[in-house]
Amino acid sequence: MFESIWVVLDMHFLGFLKATGMTLRLTAVSLALAVVIGLVFAFLKLSRNPIGNLLANAYIGVVRGTPLIVLLMFLYFGISEIVVLSSFWAGSLALAIHAGAYVAEIFRGTIQSIDHGQHEAARSLGMSRRLSMRLIILPQAFRRAIPPLGNQFIIGLKDSSLVAFLGVSELYSRAMTAAAANFRPFETYLVAGLYYLVLVLIFTWLVNQLELRLTPDRRAAA
Amino acid sequence: MNVIETRNLHKHFGDLHVLKGVDIAVAEGEVVVIIGPSGSGKSTLLRCLNFLEMPDEGSEVLLDGEVIDPARDNLDKVREKMGMVFQHFHLFPHKNVIDNITIAPENVKGVPRKQAKATARELLEKVGLPDKEKAWPSQLSGGQKQRVAIARALAMDPEIMLFDEVTSALDPELVAEVLQVVQDLAAAGMTMVMVTHEMGFAREVADRVIMMDDGIIIEQATPDRFFGSPAEERTRTFLGQVLHA
Repeated sequence: MFESIWVVLDMHFLGFLKATGMTLRLTAVSLALAVVIGLVFAFLKLSRNPIGNLLANAYIGVVRGTPLIVLLMFLYFGISEIVVLSSFWAGSLALAIHAGAYVAEIFRGTIQSIDHGQHEAARSLGMSRRLSMRLIILPQAFRRAIPPLGNQFIIGLKDSSLVAFLGVSELYSRAMTAAAANFRPFETYLVAGLYYLVLVLIFTWLVNQLELRLTPDRRAAA
Repeated sequence: MNVIETRNLHKHFGDLHVLKGVDIAVAEGEVVVIIGPSGSGKSTLLRCLNFLEMPDEGSEVLLDGEVIDPARDNLDKVREKMGMVFQHFHLFPHKNVIDNITIAPENVKGVPRKQAKATARELLEKVGLPDKEKAWPSQLSGGQKQRVAIARALAMDPEIMLFDEVTSALDPELVAEVLQVVQDLAAAGMTMVMVTHEMGFAREVADRVIMMDDGIIIEQATPDRFFGSPAEERTRTFLGQVLHA
């Protein structure tokens, strides 16, 4: 069996690597969009505007209440009736809309977790609500958001495999094709799994570095 | 001339009537100390002065003789003129000491970075922490944090300083270093209103002591009269409790 893993690796190493590039592109585009979407809806949910609240709750409720694959198919087949959407963009958008709901909840939670005294101290120094949010609350909230965001990003990276069903040739789709052709599905999916595992490990390391970099106070105190 | 003044100041939190018509006036250079049992409304009074709490409709707060109208006036500008120091410091943990002090002057008043830093260094000198400018708040003791918080408030060059139980969260051995800074400020002529449980300090530094209970002013007098021969029964009871504790 171990020889046959080497055979599969040898056969597909470069092809999988290329497909990994597509997986990374999907992940990067969708998560960048998800952060923007998440921030906007976190603010809507925190705002005192009832329409904004309603909008945010509806969005988060619907997305969390439906499977990603349904959203993917809906966007790809439903929306492309109206606008022409490449499978890459349909996939990226669906992943972004999906992850955005979770990211919104992460940002809302971390913004709310900042001690109200921080805001009061900022206001007492003459800062406006906006300035206090920008200079005092958000930088602290972002720091706190990194661990759960990293978690969400890892989920997003793995979720990108579902875009295979739209025909985007990313890692999982390449594995499906390869397994069908080489009659070694066990080894092929094992190798694909290893690719994902390595990606996630690298990503975890990057997130940890980012967290260290953004918390000079904790580094100094340690 | 009064730096700050309130007329018929009321404050409700829901059904709870916390301030029931408070009139105070603080003259330039005056040091007013407010004491009273917990729940008497003294912190709320202080927080109404800079509109961290919104006074009830019909209440008046005057700064430099002008009534502040929250609907019309920019409260951010009003707060610029009043420094506030909190019981729990509320230093910004993501900024080091010097940036805690410069962040408001730079971003609110547009003071150039170089100048803001120079002022911050002078202030750190003043509060006895010239070697801490690069330290993080998490590395400081409570007394040091509070002295940085005082420097941070002073950096906005306020007309008046509000101190809200600034030594209540400190270990006993750290109280003196903070009170020393406050005393130095008083000696330098800063106008201040201070809510405190430090009776010895009130006696020594205050120009006037105000006793509050149940949302009203019970009595106010010079420290000598206030502590020597309090006029009101409630003051005597309170002083008896805190002084013999």
